[in-house]
Amino acid sequence: MERHMLRCALLSSALLLAPFMSAQADTADKTIALSNNYAGNSWRQSMLSSWQQTTDQAVKAGIIAGADSFTTGENQATEQAAQIQNLILQGYNAIVIDAASPTALNGAVKQACDAGIIVVSFDGVVTEPCAYRISMDFKQSGLDGMNYLAKRFPGGANILEVRGLAGVSVDELIHTGVMAGTSKHPQLKVVGSVNGNWSQTAAQKAVAGILPSLPKIDAVVTQGDDGFGVAQAFTAAGRPLPVIIFGNREEELAWWKKQKDANGYEAFSISSAPSISSLAFWVAQQLLDGKQMPHDLLSPAISVTQDTLESSLKGLEKGGIVSHVYSVDDVAQLKSPVAQ
Amino acid sequence: MNLSLQLNRVRSKPWLWSFLAALLVWLATLAFTRGEGAGALTSGALAFSAFFVIVGVGQMFVITTGPGNIDLSIPANIALSGAVGMKLMEGQDSLIAVGVAGVLAVGVLIGCANYALIRVLRIPPIIATLSASFLLQSMAIAYGRSVRIAPPELFYQFSTGRLLGIPYLALAVALLTVVAGYVLSRTLYGRWTLAVGQNMRAAELAGVRVERVRWATYVLSAVFASVCGVLLAGFSGGASLSMGDEYLLASIAVVVIGGTSVAGGFSNVPGLWGAALFLYLLVSMLNTFGASAGVRLILTGVIIIAVIAAVSGRKSQRSL
Repeated sequence: MERHMLRCALLSSALLLAPFMSAQADTADKTIALSNNYAGNSWRQSMLSSWQQTTDQAVKAGIIAGADSFTTGENQATEQAAQIQNLILQGYNAIVIDAASPTALNGAVKQACDAGIIVVSFDGVVTEPCAYRISMDFKQSGLDGMNYLAKRFPGGANILEVRGLAGVSVDELIHTGVMAGTSKHPQLKVVGSVNGNWSQTAAQKAVAGILPSLPKIDAVVTQGDDGFGVAQAFTAAGRPLPVIIFGNREEELAWWKKQKDANGYEAFSISSAPSISSLAFWVAQQLLDGKQMPHDLLSPAISVTQDTLESSLKGLEKGGIVSHVYSVDDVAQLKSPVAQ
Repeated sequence: MNLSLQLNRVRSKPWLWSFLAALLVWLATLAFTRGEGAGALTSGALAFSAFFVIVGVGQMFVITTGPGNIDLSIPANIALSGAVGMKLMEGQDSLIAVGVAGVLAVGVLIGCANYALIRVLRIPPIIATLSASFLLQSMAIAYGRSVRIAPPELFYQFSTGRLLGIPYLALAVALLTVVAGYVLSRTLYGRWTLAVGQNMRAAELAGVRVERVRWATYVLSAVFASVCGVLLAGFSGGASLSMGDEYLLASIAVVVIGGTSVAGGFSNVPGLWGAALFLYLLVSMLNTFGASAGVRLILTGVIIIAVIAAVSGRKSQRSL
């Protein structure tokens, strides 16, 4: 109930304020830093360029004094903690984090909060209570894929699950969603599971290795950046193409489009938008501006269906990911997760 | 008497162990599936192992030149070479030669750069090649921008094609290993490499041009990694930044499991194939059994340790 009231208050205040949003002189002398732990895949590349685009405009418009991004060389929590400590010393007013670990950075994050710095984490979120968290509802995205498959295969289907990097919380959450899907739709059976490590080549290899031992596969659920490799493995093995739940990558959608044109292939695609970094930027900016917000926020997933395939592919650069440009107005529409 | 003689002959061929391990894992997988998919499993194993063997050959030469010599720039090299190759080929059959030439040039340059760091700046190889890999990975990110350019049709056909179920790549790499074995045991360069690995000082005094051998070895390793990168990009329908990640440990693992001495001076070429097949089949077996990721990683570690222990156990027996 309290949450509901808060949401109403938030929404109404946002609506009231919306016409005056362009005049944000209060944060004109503030600086925001992005602390990022990894840049080696297409999602992170899109995430960083989205940050760059949004903040460049914001700086030019005088909304903020500066918004620099920093990426650590090794994907390691200790290194990122040291980086955050440096950012504190450099006097940034807010730090936006894509974290290497949900817990290992908590010490550094607490130091930042104690120094009066606003900390907003997204994608890889931190558990430290003083920080804000913007996460995608990964469990729901896993479930959405299964719901689609239940509609496609009312008579039952054999499913291969391609998971992400073992030990990373996102992988576990999506997997929970897939498992929830199997109990909701008992006709869907997961007959095999491999780790594709969110990499097309790793997924291709893992799937090629397990395929010989599997019966006919009707569908494959992936977590993104691995669907194209899965398709390659099925083609190489000379197996009939399964319905693949993709992860919004351009190469995956382009392959899907090719199959659709050739033989009417149907699929579904869902993933988090890498532009969540720009959303995190606006959240940090609004917090600096004195807005009150709940500490846990959910950003919606973006999905591509048979009907929206062409429109999603249009304008999507090669190697890119379906994204959504967030503006400051989107901040007001963020929901906080339902208490579990 | 006769039996012990035969046993000794088996022991003098350390590469047999890795093949034995691969065979056992293969049988275990097929026992689980009741013999289904034997052909597909073997064909897949040959295709993916070929990539491990290419980088393994290069890494083997480097490790053979003695303690401390290692090439850690292989994963980044693969990522960069894959991107360079696909960009130069632009998806056109007529540009395949340009792409391959460009990739070979990248390999030679990387090898020379690695050696320059080691020789001119006197940085230990482990640090030199690791820092080189940071530079290469950054270049791959800046150059490739994770754009997946499809390989030319002809190149794709070659990378994924099969002859009677055996991938072309596996055949080509088998030929490569035969040549590598010949180079190592029959040519001056190969003999020098072994001599440097056994005792660098003694080799120098015996007139071996030690530094020239080391330079050639690092270039060789980098060129093989580059070739692996462009073939891998062709095989998986385009280059990606994370493509080379697993090759850091894999390149060293195939060399060691294959029976090459980590201390240098003793190489084992056929063992590379046994080890590469073993590593691929092991993961496939655990996936087939339905082991969870945690169990899989633990078992992979334990089994690799067991195989290495078996190989080195043989060595201590021999020295008795």
